[in-house]
Amino acid sequence: MSLTHRALLYDDRDGFLAATSAFLRQGVEEGRAAVAVVREPNLAALREELASYGDAIEFYDSAEFYRHPVRTLKSYLELVERKAPLPVHAVAEPVWDGHDARQRVEWVRYESLINVVFANCDASSLCPYDRSALPADVVDQVRLTHPLLTDGAEHRDSEAYTDPVSFGAICDRGRRFERPDDAEYLAIESDDLQPLRLFVASRANAHGLTPAAAQNLVTAANEVAANALAHGVPPMGAWVWTAGDDLNCEIGDHGHWRPGPLTGFVPPRSALDTGFGLWTVRLLVDLVEMRGGWGGTFVRLRVRR
Amino acid sequence: MRSWFDTRCVDDVRPGDHAWFPYSGAEERDHVVGPFVAGALKTGEKLLYITDAAPELLPGLGGLDPAPYTGSGQLRVLRRAESCLDRAGGFDPDRLSRTVEREVEQGYDAGFRAVRVTTDYTWLFDGRADIAGLLGCEDRLAHAVSPSTVAMAICQIDRRRCPPDQLAALAATHEVLVEVNPLFDDGTPKIARSFAPRGLRVEGELDAARHAVFTEHLGRLLADRRGVHLDCSRLGFLDLGALNLLARYARTLRAGEALILDDLPANVENVIDMVGWHRLPGLVRGSVRGAADGGATA
Repeated sequence: MSLTHRALLYDDRDGFLAATSAFLRQGVEEGRAAVAVVREPNLAALREELASYGDAIEFYDSAEFYRHPVRTLKSYLELVERKAPLPVHAVAEPVWDGHDARQRVEWVRYESLINVVFANCDASSLCPYDRSALPADVVDQVRLTHPLLTDGAEHRDSEAYTDPVSFGAICDRGRRFERPDDAEYLAIESDDLQPLRLFVASRANAHGLTPAAAQNLVTAANEVAANALAHGVPPMGAWVWTAGDDLNCEIGDHGHWRPGPLTGFVPPRSALDTGFGLWTVRLLVDLVEMRGGWGGTFVRLRVRR
Repeated sequence: MRSWFDTRCVDDVRPGDHAWFPYSGAEERDHVVGPFVAGALKTGEKLLYITDAAPELLPGLGGLDPAPYTGSGQLRVLRRAESCLDRAGGFDPDRLSRTVEREVEQGYDAGFRAVRVTTDYTWLFDGRADIAGLLGCEDRLAHAVSPSTVAMAICQIDRRRCPPDQLAALAATHEVLVEVNPLFDDGTPKIARSFAPRGLRVEGELDAARHAVFTEHLGRLLADRRGVHLDCSRLGFLDLGALNLLARYARTLRAGEALILDDLPANVENVIDMVGWHRLPGLVRGSVRGAADGGATA
């Protein structure tokens, strides 16, 4: 029992429809749970093409499904659990427009993480990529994140496929971590984290985050700081600064923790599993970046208003 | 219902407090009236208890012989017939007021540093209640106690036996709501027993700095089978570590049992919804906080 994760590189609407509808028909015929998560206008076209299947195929709009990579992974996991014991047979088309370069890295990483999160799952995923329209770097990386490729006519293995741990390390390479000199700083000097929560909450409210987003950031920052208190080395502190619509909150200590590339990305089965805290932190904010080294351990949280 | 001038735990009730205590059962009642009685005897204060129960059966004595206290006048246990009933055996609110005023004065003259007064009105709600008379009496008591530097009173009632509108009217004649002493209170958080339903109430903010004391009380609650509800109606913040901790303790429950989280603040509920309740095995959502309360940030 293992995942079949294949990218479909297509050039036009006809190529897309032919390959995805054949894939979904096969799923229905084999008694699998057929699901299509597709961008408009392809979604409407695919629905029409497969109208005779009625409720046998579930359709979702990618614009709704692909908003936050860590939450999307969780949604797919829930879908798989909901359909069990039927194996999921999904057309899964991510969204690539509207992202800045940093967000795009996270969505590429997301495609790679699929291989870990669903490794032991009898699911089959066909991920359409419009190679005539998508940015070249997105199309180039498909070979690294999908073990299997097809152009609709010919199936082949991806020789460039890179295991998710190595790929995560590549994603994290070359990141830059400037912090402006005028970032506000709060030292964390005791295990009472109420001052930190007030510090973060007031900056989040001033930045105009919604109450829910502000509260989620407070919970996330509290968790990271609690980890620093439990495992890190003083001095510890939190910096907060804004960059355009982004609010950044970074918590650092002088420990030498070196988080692995998968840290906090793989959904735990329950709150009792290790990794629950950092995974939840990743769910609660828009972006989490961790770095460790001689200078200390730093976890940066980013929320866009 | 009016909002209270103040809510105080029983050990913080002080002279001038005309306090209201609607309880939900004998266990809760004894957790408030017991310390009120014991506190008077321990600190050299007079206690007036209007009840038909025998003195040795009063809560808070803890096996102590009441005779020396009744002998010295420190403990006055008056039967209803001799303190608040008319000749026909009906409730006489006027007589009750006079009894309390007289006993407070005598206690003061005898040199007690304070006079505590308590009675349970539940017996009035058996169909013959003169609620108007009782309300007038409570007003008079309030006027006697509130400006006093020696008198403090706790008016008890079993909330289950009193119609809601009458309960609200009676509540409105008091300035202070009394509740059980907390098990732990260092400002934030505060942990207290809750009784309807049975469990713990956590107030304020719970983070890693207070996990140890929280697990101590949670562990004791579950081990003694004193309830499985967590009243979160006054909770402002709960960290992720506490969710892990709750799930760990929920595993000690018997099959089919769960730890029930009542009235969660929006920020905590949002986190749980985000991770999914199924990732918190043994925890279930209880009653839902009023829509008007959006929860607290920090």
